[in-house]
Amino acid sequence: MSYNQNLKDKYCDILNNLKSSGLFKQERLITGPQDAVINVEFPIGTPEMQVINMCANNYLGLSSHPDIIQAAHRGLDEWGYGMSSVRFICGTQSLHKELEKVVTEFLGTEDTILFSSCFDANGAIFEAILDEHDIMISDRLVHASIVDGMRLAKAQHDTYKHSDMAHLRKKLEQHKDYPRKLIITDGVFSMDGDVAKLDEIVALAEEFDAMVFVDDSHASGFMGKTGRGTHELCNVMGKIDIISTTFGKALGGASGGCISGRAELVEMLRQKGRPYLFSNTLASVITAATLEVFRILNKSTERRDKLEQNTIYWRKGLSELGFVLKEGDSPIVPVMLFNAKLAQEISYDLYQEGVYAIGFFFPVVAQGQARIRTQLSAAHSTAQLDKALLAFKKVGKKHGILGLSKEQLIEKYGL
Amino acid sequence: MEQKLIDFITEEFLSDDDDPITTQTKLISSGLIDSFSLVSLQTFIAKEFGKKIPAPKITAQSFDTVAQMMEIIDQF
Repeated sequence: MSYNQNLKDKYCDILNNLKSSGLFKQERLITGPQDAVINVEFPIGTPEMQVINMCANNYLGLSSHPDIIQAAHRGLDEWGYGMSSVRFICGTQSLHKELEKVVTEFLGTEDTILFSSCFDANGAIFEAILDEHDIMISDRLVHASIVDGMRLAKAQHDTYKHSDMAHLRKKLEQHKDYPRKLIITDGVFSMDGDVAKLDEIVALAEEFDAMVFVDDSHASGFMGKTGRGTHELCNVMGKIDIISTTFGKALGGASGGCISGRAELVEMLRQKGRPYLFSNTLASVITAATLEVFRILNKSTERRDKLEQNTIYWRKGLSELGFVLKEGDSPIVPVMLFNAKLAQEISYDLYQEGVYAIGFFFPVVAQGQARIRTQLSAAHSTAQLDKALLAFKKVGKKHGILGLSKEQLIEKYGL
Repeated sequence: MEQKLIDFITEEFLSDDDDPITTQTKLISSGLIDSFSLVSLQTFIAKEFGKKIPAPKITAQSFDTVAQMMEIIDQF
């Protein structure tokens, strides 16, 4: 069938419905490198604005770090641009093996396998290590890539209430007869910024003979005293069977990801992981730059320390202004507004005041849980954070929400 | 079946603030149950009633209320 007018109209209807229901996503145009301050056109074609960036996953401020850029240039010169092959045919350079070794040492695991994205890594893992006789038990707020990965697997599937350990225990008891059980969670949950209770999860896993999978994409490089991730923060280094993470956030921010963990499970991915077997791996230039990221992180904890200080400063500042925040220790700081329209208006007003922070609302978060998600970076200076706090104060005052409790906000604006 | 479904949904998905549900309460389209968590409902139905409902049958349109769920379960 050709792409006829009927088909065209059908797709236009779907897109128009997205627009009318407020679900249509529009890109913002950034006209320079990623950083703490960026120039943005939004909507595209409107005059460029210089704004403080409070919505990037550039936690360690490495996305445009000169050492990383230099390493990428060197990588390009020394290793070429593309491999034109999957890993197991002729797409593996010693550079890839070197990065796998470095990641393994950094995370304190047994082995690592690279993927061109963490989305691919999460798409590969469950299908490769479980079959229809096994069960996956996942937290209900895990990332979309994990949801898709689980859908690809033949294993049975159940969920537990977000971070509810009593509920997880109940599910493990209910499914105790499955030969292989896998508990699946994010390390840091991206919308709320809270940390999984990995110490309790590991204890339950040991009690019920289950394996543990953690996606540490919003944690690798900065959570824990030396930035290893949530397994370091929760004192369970060496006890997480599978860690997936991305190089597309704190660790340079370009792209790529990996699975790191038990040697046999990683080997299963080399034998059976479909995104590994049927697509090229991380480009050499990114591999070289990511190696430089780990050199920086292994040398000093300066950047994760700065991020921690910035997070404390930002949380304190917003609290003192009278905003309702989600509790947590990660650099994801959600400012709770509960009402979707209010979240959109505040995001717009902040942008006009030179602060770029996005409003999230249903269906991205639960109904009545609309918020502005702010994210800190080690690249933010105190002066920039002060300026952003001033903008929040001005906008909060305009909408009369400073000092209001959750109940008062809901009473004033509804859900 | 009706009461078992209501009890399971209440315990699994509702918070203390939510109103009690009936067979006509919209569950998915209202956001009470997110699409991902439906898999737990699917697992419960398989275990409790011995009925394996295929994923394409479980949509916000066709599986939105307990009454609709019972109709679909009866088809298998």
